[in-house]
Amino acid sequence: MSLAVMLKILRRHALMPALVLFQVALACAILCNVLFLVWQRVQPMVAPSGLAEDELVLVDQVTSRVRPWTGAEVRAGQLALSHAPGVRSASAALGLPMIGTMMIDYTLQSPRGVKVGVNGYFGEGLVNSLGLQLVAGRDFLPSEYRDFGVNHSSSGIPATSAAEPIIIPQSLATQLFGDQPAVGQILQVPDEPDGHGYQVVGVVRHLMRNQLDMATDGRADNTLLAAKRVGDTAMVGYAVRIDPAMREVALHGIREAIRQAFGPLLSDDIPVKITTYAERRHEALESARAALWLFAGVTLAVLVVTAIGIMGLTGFWVQRRTRQIGIQRALGARRSQVLRYFMVENLLIAGAGVLIGMALAYVANAVLMRHYELPRLPWAYLPIGGAVVLLLGQLAVWSPARRAADAPPVVATRSV
Amino acid sequence: MRYNLTLAWEGLKRYPRSTILAVLTVAMGLAATMTTLALLHQLTADPLPGRSGHLYLAWVDTVRAKPQQNQSLNDITVENYHRIKWDDAQVLLRDHRATWQAPMASVFTEMTGDGEHAPHRRDYLLATTSEFMPMLGVSLRSGRGWSAAEDAARAPVAIVDSDMAVRLYGTVDVLGRGLKLGHGVFRIIGVTAPFSPQPHFYDLSAITFSGSQRDMAFVPLGALLDAGVDLASSDACDENGPKKSTLFGTDAAHCSSLSYWVDLPDGKAVADFRAYLQHYAENQQSLAGYGKSARAELTGVGAWLSKQNVVPDNVRLNAWLAGSFLLLCMANVAGLLAARFLRRGAEIGIRRALGAPRSAIFQQHVFEAALICLVGGVLALPLTLFGLWTLRLQASGFTDLARLDPAMFVALFALALVVGIVTGWLPAWRASRVEPGLQVKSA
Repeated sequence: MSLAVMLKILRRHALMPALVLFQVALACAILCNVLFLVWQRVQPMVAPSGLAEDELVLVDQVTSRVRPWTGAEVRAGQLALSHAPGVRSASAALGLPMIGTMMIDYTLQSPRGVKVGVNGYFGEGLVNSLGLQLVAGRDFLPSEYRDFGVNHSSSGIPATSAAEPIIIPQSLATQLFGDQPAVGQILQVPDEPDGHGYQVVGVVRHLMRNQLDMATDGRADNTLLAAKRVGDTAMVGYAVRIDPAMREVALHGIREAIRQAFGPLLSDDIPVKITTYAERRHEALESARAALWLFAGVTLAVLVVTAIGIMGLTGFWVQRRTRQIGIQRALGARRSQVLRYFMVENLLIAGAGVLIGMALAYVANAVLMRHYELPRLPWAYLPIGGAVVLLLGQLAVWSPARRAADAPPVVATRSV
Repeated sequence: MRYNLTLAWEGLKRYPRSTILAVLTVAMGLAATMTTLALLHQLTADPLPGRSGHLYLAWVDTVRAKPQQNQSLNDITVENYHRIKWDDAQVLLRDHRATWQAPMASVFTEMTGDGEHAPHRRDYLLATTSEFMPMLGVSLRSGRGWSAAEDAARAPVAIVDSDMAVRLYGTVDVLGRGLKLGHGVFRIIGVTAPFSPQPHFYDLSAITFSGSQRDMAFVPLGALLDAGVDLASSDACDENGPKKSTLFGTDAAHCSSLSYWVDLPDGKAVADFRAYLQHYAENQQSLAGYGKSARAELTGVGAWLSKQNVVPDNVRLNAWLAGSFLLLCMANVAGLLAARFLRRGAEIGIRRALGAPRSAIFQQHVFEAALICLVGGVLALPLTLFGLWTLRLQASGFTDLARLDPAMFVALFALALVVGIVTGWLPAWRASRVEPGLQVKSA
């Protein structure tokens, strides 16, 4: 049957196709946006951390209740931890992966003018303690470290007299310098054009940022290690690399070391947290997981409701046309032709719905973006959402179409 | 009306499968929308009905330091200055240009009862001045508030929350007893009923939304500073101040650490106060040389809350998502209804042939649609309660507010009715267009 005839039939009974079209368009618009939101939540979960995850124990919130820790106390703690049984190395740190209590905010500008926001990690020997893989350049030299502590609640990062050495991950190097080798390059702070800036001395394979909501769209590795040793500070954490075969012993040893090094002065309000990396990761991604469950529920509900809607409407419509189908069959139309007719008809209606739906998805995203902190919906999501809905439409129409095709030619001779 | 209802009910019973499908679909859409709207409704409710309309946060920038201009590409906002220094607060208090005014800061500190082995507890208290009470409408269970004279004399007096009184003293009858704060002993002169506006708008740096945390005592700011208890945090500090802000406390004299709230009755008072603040900022001689322009702001409660993004974007986004899902459900039900109504073409035709006007047919079918959606609304109620319960299981600081209040309960049924009528409109109209003659012939 020609397309023109098909369209003519659709126009004559406009209500049913219009309702299917409307449903398909809405479902497509919702799905495109939900799929995009899902991907935003999934990215921080699948991004490689670059850490020796199995060997890492994170100590966080070592907080005094009376006065800031001195740099000497912080280093004594680091020494005690690195001598604990089962421990391979330990570093005092400000900012740790998967921990949001302390986030260090940098804005870097490359010689090409590219500006990137990154999270920093401070601490002596972090490359070793976190188990990072150097792919170019070198680790910091012991003489390069400068003391830094957190005492002021609104503290800026103090100026230095020469370019400060930093280590960055590969993907950040590519963003900043393109194909050029990163080692030796100088980066500036956009607000301080006269400053000495930072010099890249090493590049690591990966190092995930601790601002997890920003770990999307290729920004998961926007981090840097600065050559800063923890000095006088009100709060400190430790990255401890252990022998995974001795995990329990090591955890016990770490608890003891912290208690002995800081014991009586530890704050009661803010308890020290000593956890394996896996536990901390699980905790940090909890809200993202909850959101994923929610979106999975929405997706399922949208698919089920749309499928039921298409099946119900098509079923009714097929039933109404049973007599015509019978006539066609009596005139020699094969079952496969009848089946194909209904499938193509659905494809036509759903196709139009998907086109409208994709436009709707884009507009909805643009409107939401104006009011809320939401990134722009990439084009790629539109065909994906559209394809899902088209496929769903074909599946939903299969059973009513089969029933129609099964109508025996003899019904044509009966009056309905 | 009765006849229509009977017809609608009979209609529901005739196609039980499609009725159940339609009711379930509507219930799902309504429950999703209601769950997200209930949370949004709780989060955006007026924190102090009748009062917050004329409360304003007053701010002047008198910090003797260069303005921080670090821009962040990581979505970290540095520019959220809103607090003032104690010295400025004292000048504004003395000038007394508003109906009521008080500087406020919530402080997390140790509170100890009197006697030996007295129980102690660390919790929030509000450091403020005498007029907070009429301004915020804090009601007393017993005793009295303190006076402006006691503020000026920096008298160590305190008002405690009734729950805190029971925790520290075992009774709410605590007037005249001593409350140890820092190295001072404060005499309790009043006991309040629990006071917990949501959100904790007058000092968001300590608490935002919370079902369990609130200010457990109220004390004069001057007396608290005398007792050596420091304020918790600040926006910025004077460059040459002797004692800076640390994680252990902030220097109220040299750091902007107080939210200064004023009560202004009408637009003229607001304009006058704004001019007065700007004038105050322009007269700050000590600011010369820091490259700052004179800045003063007066922000209402609503504007303040939206500026601080108190309601998470996610909550609003989910409400939009649920709303569009409801729309999809409605389209679905409209389809089911259209199919069902047109199946009855023959009998509609007979009714029309017997003289029933189009409007009667239309009414009957809209009634049927509304009835389906109302049944869906009844079913949506337990589903909504279940949805809110799962929200409460998630710990994200505000979800313990996810509850359905009576107003929302009524709104649910109103929504169900509206959804029913809107959904039924098109199919019912289509049904009323059925030609009488044609149907009679073929039937």
